[in-house]
Amino acid sequence: MGCAMLKKRLIGVITVRRGWAVQSFGFRRWLPLGRPEVLAQNLDRWGVDEILVQAIDRSVANRGPDFELLERLGRTGLSTPLIYGGGIATLADADRAVSTAADRVCVDALLRDNPREVDRISRHLGAQAVIGALPLARRDGTLRWLDHRNRGETPLLASALGLFQAGVVSEALLIDWRNEGAYGSFDEALLEAFPVAEVPVIAFGGLSEPAQLRRVLGMPRVAAAAIGNFLNYTEHAVQCYREQLVGVVLRPPSYRAMGQA
Amino acid sequence: MSPRRTVGIVDYGVGNHTSVWRALHALGYRCRVTQDTEVLNGTDLILLPGVGAFPSAMQAIESRGLAEYLRSRAREGRPFLGICLGMQLMADSSSEFGHTAGLGLIPGQVVPLQQAAWHIGWNTFESVGRDPLLRAIDGESVYFNHSYVFEAPPEYSVGVARLMKPFLVAVRRENVVGLQFHPEKSQSAGREALRRVINGLCDA
Repeated sequence: MGCAMLKKRLIGVITVRRGWAVQSFGFRRWLPLGRPEVLAQNLDRWGVDEILVQAIDRSVANRGPDFELLERLGRTGLSTPLIYGGGIATLADADRAVSTAADRVCVDALLRDNPREVDRISRHLGAQAVIGALPLARRDGTLRWLDHRNRGETPLLASALGLFQAGVVSEALLIDWRNEGAYGSFDEALLEAFPVAEVPVIAFGGLSEPAQLRRVLGMPRVAAAAIGNFLNYTEHAVQCYREQLVGVVLRPPSYRAMGQA
Repeated sequence: MSPRRTVGIVDYGVGNHTSVWRALHALGYRCRVTQDTEVLNGTDLILLPGVGAFPSAMQAIESRGLAEYLRSRAREGRPFLGICLGMQLMADSSSEFGHTAGLGLIPGQVVPLQQAAWHIGWNTFESVGRDPLLRAIDGESVYFNHSYVFEAPPEYSVGVARLMKPFLVAVRRENVVGLQFHPEKSQSAGREALRRVINGLCDA
């Protein structure tokens, strides 16, 4: 039991490259972890609030979503909500991802390439099912948006920001890509600098230390913290975080098997 | 020991049936995922899932000729459960993307959530009234993902959640129950809710 209000979430991130779950460091170095569906089952059993599976090489190679992976994830019978990102370029892609296994989809390159298609996806699936991912960095006091396909940076495009302002996407996944995988290094100023105040934010990239998680989750605009590598170093890591974050509005720690009634 | 129940998951081309099927299977139920009314007739409980927008879902149901079947099944007093959008489809109408008529199984309208743009994440379920069906998960956190809500007369309310104020998240009219949250994605509390509702309706 907990207080009767909407909780902030701890999201477990599984980064997938070439079909394998990897530890990711700064969007440029990867170490293998194993099969994504096994990691998803672990996170499910350990009671994370949502699972984000991001297949980081699908847009780069223009290969579309990894539906085989989604089918394998679907077969595991996860009892935790699943967000899928990677290669979603059309409404058909998003629709199939949801009908296969995902509860929500995360779009990244599509925000840049085709905002109208993001709008079509939102109208079909509902904005609550659509998250916009933005890998960001601050340089000379301004926000720079990484295009991970060519590693180029641009300012945030008005067309993409419009999707957040208009409520076409329900949450912004703000990724501190430079600090991803580095302990306690998330650049909290990104959260203040993101210009759309109305949209709830998921913070990701270098969030590992309870003190920083407490500060970040304490910000009214932050709905969730996403954690990747650091959930894989300890069993029940998410419950350990919950124990250390007493006072933050989270689900309370629990060690019962989550999928069993 | 109660007989093994068969749940008919209505396949109208919208949403993720796999998650619901897996959750029910893990709880020991047989499932039929189908739009075939003959197959649905042979099941103990109809489960109407759903993800997405109300108008396209109703259109999908109508185009498959399922709307009248679902209404008659509910009228006959057979157990009926709607989940998330499936709950909202039980209303008289929705204002999502304009006015759309619903199945009309439980009086009420589906309207935008007033307190926030969305209700996404884990929130506390509060059982209301004297209906014992969902009392077992009173106070438990369950997973929500929606932006419209079902507004029904209080006699049909069996559960609420809160943002600033309470709002309806579970409805019941005799054999028909709707849950706004996703029990199949609400870990142990959700599975307990599924088990209680299915067995409660089938045993009634």
